[in-house]
Amino acid sequence: MAFPKELIRNFSIIAHIDHGKSTLADRLMQLTQTVAERDMEEQILDSMDIERERGITIKSTAVRMFYTAKDGREYMLNLIDTPGHVDFTYEVSRALAACEGAVLVVDATQGIEAQTLANVYLALDNDLEIIPVINKIDLVSADPENAIHEIEDIIGLPAEDAPQISAKTGLNVGDVLERIVTDIPAPRGDANAPLKALIFDSLYDNYMGALSYVRVMEGTVRPGDRIRFMHSGSEFDVTEVGVFTPNRQPVKELTAGEVGYISASIKSVAETKVGDTITLASNPASEPLHGYKQANPMVFCGIYPADGADYEALKEALDKLVLNDASISYEPETSQALGYGFRCGFLGLLHMEIAEERLEREFDLDLVTTAPSVIYRVIMLDGSVRMIDNPSNLPSPMEIQRMEEPMVSAHIMTPPEYVGSIMELCQDKRGVFIDMTYLEENRVKLTYRMPLNEIIFDFFDGLKSRSRGYASFDYELGEYEESDLVKLDFLLNGDMCDALSTIVHRDKAYAKGRAVAEKLQEVIPRQQFEIPIQAAIGGKIIARETVRAVRKDVLAKCYGGDITRKKKLLEKQKEGKKRMRQVGTVSVPSDAFMSVLRIN
Amino acid sequence: MAGLYIHIPFCKRKCRYCDFISFPDFAHEDLYFVALISEMRKYAPLMRGRAFDTVFFGGGTPTALKPGRIAALLDEVRKCFDISPDAEITCEANPESATEEKLRELYSAGVNRLSIGLQSASDAELSAIGRIHTREDFLRAAEAARKAGFTNINADVMHGLPGQTQESYIGSLRLVSELDLTHISSYALILEEGTPLFDDVNAGRVTLPDPDDTADMEDAGFEFLAQKGYARYEISNFAKPGFACRHNLNYWDNGEYLGLGLNSHSALRLKGDWTRFRNTDRLDEYINELGEGKLPVRETRKIERDEEMFESVMLGLRKIEGISRAGFARRFGVDPVEHYAPAVTELELDGMLEVTEESMFLTKHGLDFQNEALIKFMEQ
Repeated sequence: MAFPKELIRNFSIIAHIDHGKSTLADRLMQLTQTVAERDMEEQILDSMDIERERGITIKSTAVRMFYTAKDGREYMLNLIDTPGHVDFTYEVSRALAACEGAVLVVDATQGIEAQTLANVYLALDNDLEIIPVINKIDLVSADPENAIHEIEDIIGLPAEDAPQISAKTGLNVGDVLERIVTDIPAPRGDANAPLKALIFDSLYDNYMGALSYVRVMEGTVRPGDRIRFMHSGSEFDVTEVGVFTPNRQPVKELTAGEVGYISASIKSVAETKVGDTITLASNPASEPLHGYKQANPMVFCGIYPADGADYEALKEALDKLVLNDASISYEPETSQALGYGFRCGFLGLLHMEIAEERLEREFDLDLVTTAPSVIYRVIMLDGSVRMIDNPSNLPSPMEIQRMEEPMVSAHIMTPPEYVGSIMELCQDKRGVFIDMTYLEENRVKLTYRMPLNEIIFDFFDGLKSRSRGYASFDYELGEYEESDLVKLDFLLNGDMCDALSTIVHRDKAYAKGRAVAEKLQEVIPRQQFEIPIQAAIGGKIIARETVRAVRKDVLAKCYGGDITRKKKLLEKQKEGKKRMRQVGTVSVPSDAFMSVLRIN
Repeated sequence: MAGLYIHIPFCKRKCRYCDFISFPDFAHEDLYFVALISEMRKYAPLMRGRAFDTVFFGGGTPTALKPGRIAALLDEVRKCFDISPDAEITCEANPESATEEKLRELYSAGVNRLSIGLQSASDAELSAIGRIHTREDFLRAAEAARKAGFTNINADVMHGLPGQTQESYIGSLRLVSELDLTHISSYALILEEGTPLFDDVNAGRVTLPDPDDTADMEDAGFEFLAQKGYARYEISNFAKPGFACRHNLNYWDNGEYLGLGLNSHSALRLKGDWTRFRNTDRLDEYINELGEGKLPVRETRKIERDEEMFESVMLGLRKIEGISRAGFARRFGVDPVEHYAPAVTELELDGMLEVTEESMFLTKHGLDFQNEALIKFMEQ
């Protein structure tokens, strides 16, 4: 028998990184005895090592809890844990669409940040009931009054009676459970209507294939049903449905209002796209749930094995990674400098970093990555349009009529004293000022229109250093805009190094060319001959540096009988050499290719 | 034939570039002396049947020990080990502590080779690297050595020192050649992490010569030595005919040696296995363990044949004459040129290595880039 719908509460937790979302989730599971005390560990919903280490959530997960409220009734609480980063905005929006309410966690020592605000807006867009909660009140620096003030002024939510908690110590966390029961509406939906299940995430399981994580909005789904994915049109037979406790536990059926998973022997997560609607093939819904979008990669880079022999291993690793993350795209490419590898696309910079880290850790690969690029729109003289995600593939300027680059709306929240410095930064990144508003006395929101290619490099670091870490940042994608872009190339001892080519705005090409050449001069070790490093636009050299030839590479002294020391030095030198790439005659250390990123 | 090394880990003051194990006080000299004697006695039965044809007292500053100590140690060495009658017995000396009296004592005890740590004949350079002696001290020590009877004398000279120029470096070499010493070790300064000089350089308090200038200095200095009749026989070593250091040659031939004293290293063939080990580098452990009748040995490693071969290449190619193909074949049953064919061919093409019927050796260019040459052998 289905659980009474009026006793179900589906909710998410919204918080800025480090404001205590995962700790609160842990505490809620503990209080509801969802997880036995002895199985308790930190960040229990974040199962990936990277999530725990970085203290972030990358994948959405869910957990079902049972809670006996003060009214004496037992409620089923489904917590959907969502990623917090701007790269995953779409995933967050779908996870929120699966809920009726959200707990907004605000750090009593920090107040509201841009990402929190962005997610609150997403929650409001999805008509969610929002319960503000002030966290970390056990800290000496806690200023709950200010946090309340900010929630009321910036978001416009009454927060006078917001629970003031410490997720760390457990103080007042029970109040949060009570508020979830009293404030968040029960799900609506008819268990007998045609099935509409919203996919908010998916996971690849080695034994069961791709699992859809769903919120059933209407109808009922059982094992044996033939289901249809309304956007992709593909159909499968359900082998199992279940819930999260937080481990997967099969159940007989999932009905309207419930959260769980559907297994249907699906080969890849690419088939079960976030935001798609699952219905029954025999009795389909008339239309899918709204809000579906194809998540498109925004940031591209080349990924190569540090050791060319690992190409097949990298391919297999990417195949497997994509089974679990359909938003990554990849296709083979070759580089003269780096050999065989892949052009990979990601939702954003964090997504890219995480994927690289997972490839290196989970698949034990040593990788070389090139500087990230966005997709440029190139309008050719003949009027045809080409989308270019790899600077090396940019057609000759002779054939190009004009070029366009993707823009974003960047929202920055900062204490007013840093506004000047941040505006300088935005200007420097070719930002166009749109708006500045005082959200309250000590919180300013700046809005700029900026090229995406300027923020994928070091914008975030710059923002943090100019604001002593106080500014936060969020962006949404805008349109393509015409821009005076050029391809900047680098030559080492006369040989062009394709992996270093980058597309930049003409006004910045000289400075960038000089800076990268200088950086390369630092990172390329001296070799037996002199190496000229040149930066060039088209055929024109705009900067030159020289790596002087090394004269001697010999250990003068052999330390008496201590042979091991000499051997260790050689080993180290040999390892360093293995990480070198050959560009023409020049050996280049692998990380030089990323050094283009790390210039100011 | 094997070598015997005895480490004396005491100095009046530690030099700013030095990362050897040595203590700037002599508080534990007596205890250390007793421990050394115990160590020799422990090894005596194990070394039976091995003839030692070189003995080397290194440091530290062996000449700074109390009078009679080196003689007493050498006495014990002869009791415990089979020392060849014509053995080369070297003792390191620092100019300030090498008095005629002390040197006479060494000589009459049987030391027949003296190695003086000159490093530089410029007082400014000496003080920059924290040496406590002067040019004058060195002149006095060299004269005292002659008077004491030494005919086989080495001087260590360094290049790449703070404030050093090509002229001053050659000036140091000239001084040694004018005194007609038989041997010169001319090392480039290696900046070792953890030394005061390393910290000074990193903090910008001290500037070393540009590496290119040091390379020029070295080329000019080595050229000068050749003109003066000192033949280069190893990367950093030069000798008048017949005066190459046999103790060090044994290292470069990858021969057997036993190291006694703190943090000294040993390489011995034990029950057929090529074995390396070292002593503890902690003075308290060294003294206590020997006091308890234990050998303070650490990191004993059996060296596999491939590694032993590479060691022979790594060490042998330090010598100007290179590696004897027949000698290598006797030891390993393969011709090194054949065994390392790809590396040898590549290095020959690069002009770094030459091969004859008898030997393979590095060219001048190969010697300058010895590390790169060795990595080729290593990679194979």
